[in-house]
Amino acid sequence: MRVLRIDAERELALCAGEEGDERSTVEIALVQPVAEGDVLLVHAGTAIAHADSEVAV
Amino acid sequence: MTMKYMDEFRDAELGRALAGKILDAVEPGRHYKVMEVCGGHTHSIYKYGIDDLLPENVELVHGPGCPVCVIPMGRVDDGIAMATENDIIFACFGDMMRVPGSEKTLTEAKAEGADIRMVYSPLDALRLAKQNPDREVVFFAIGFETTAPSTALTLKRARAEGVTNFSCMCNHVTIVPPLRALLESPDLRLDGFIGPGHVSTVVGARPFEFIPKDYGKPVVVAGFEPLDILHAISMILGQLVEGRCEVENQYSRVVPYDGNPAALKVMSEVFELRPHFEWRGLGFISQSALKLSEAYAELDAEQRFGVPGVRVADPKACQCGEVLKGVIKPYECKVFGTACTPEHAIGTCMVSPEGACAAYYNYGRFAREKELV
Repeated sequence: MRVLRIDAERELALCAGEEGDERSTVEIALVQPVAEGDVLLVHAGTAIAHADSEVAV
Repeated sequence: MTMKYMDEFRDAELGRALAGKILDAVEPGRHYKVMEVCGGHTHSIYKYGIDDLLPENVELVHGPGCPVCVIPMGRVDDGIAMATENDIIFACFGDMMRVPGSEKTLTEAKAEGADIRMVYSPLDALRLAKQNPDREVVFFAIGFETTAPSTALTLKRARAEGVTNFSCMCNHVTIVPPLRALLESPDLRLDGFIGPGHVSTVVGARPFEFIPKDYGKPVVVAGFEPLDILHAISMILGQLVEGRCEVENQYSRVVPYDGNPAALKVMSEVFELRPHFEWRGLGFISQSALKLSEAYAELDAEQRFGVPGVRVADPKACQCGEVLKGVIKPYECKVFGTACTPEHAIGTCMVSPEGACAAYYNYGRFAREKELV
């Protein structure tokens, strides 16, 4: 999911899904530092990894 | 080339090129068995028809990495007992609600009056506790290392925020012990493993090094898009052709080789290993599951409310255990698609979308062998 806004104090972020239509609040404590625009892998409401937006294959 | 967007990982031309590379790598007359450990991979394989792109002598064997599928019937009964015998709000993930216990599912217990609610995350369950300060809220936690950090973080938050009416019935499991059990099993001969991508974001690829080291099988940790899976199969076959045997990371855009240290740290604070835990179909496996650590014992719902803890054998007709071990294909089960369907599941593998039986049923793979004749 892509990070739209960050609540730094509570370590939460508003994120949007792949299509941009689905939005949810995500726990970001385990993937700090996080910046707006980052792409995160989210599982059960918690971000567990950063995803590189570009990858060489 | 550089890939940026999701749809590029579904590119048909690149998929055909990878399928061609796989075809070039296989030796005629040799039968290859590759296990995809994770239920997410099983789902992708049948959703995108990846098995149809493989040569006939490359067989995909489905592994035990479906969190809902491996929960034994006795634990479902324990959850139902906790939800019905106490005046509590019992929160769990949606697919868990349809898993049959020995007499009923959590959905049926809810219909009979128990206050059982579906949540999308442990944090939702904690929110329920804050919204209902005069009620006890229990979160029924399931999942591998992918989900366990989320539960751990929620328990830390509950403590930090002084939420005393929240507790957790912990059923988290770990991926390495069942893989070792499968590798020790005489029933199964495998040539390599597609490693679980999401679990590996947390634990890293390093914990799978025992597979090449102790058992001489290649492992490639893979993503979940069709090209990821084809690429991983091609990498496994490449290792076999070159006589190499190691852990490779195809999903490096998300998986660091050493995992997520912050997630591992929070898990080690909140959880400790259970001496043993029963897995559906695999029986008791030592040190294969997590419970709350001494430091978090007051948030342990099993200690707060108690559970019957009765071991229940799987229904005789159901062959989920053999499906989970990769010994039989879903369509070889006696009740597949007849008595057992996603609407009226007898076994867990038909309940969860990540279950092999549900994947076969939903994507029309009723009998692959027959189609090939």
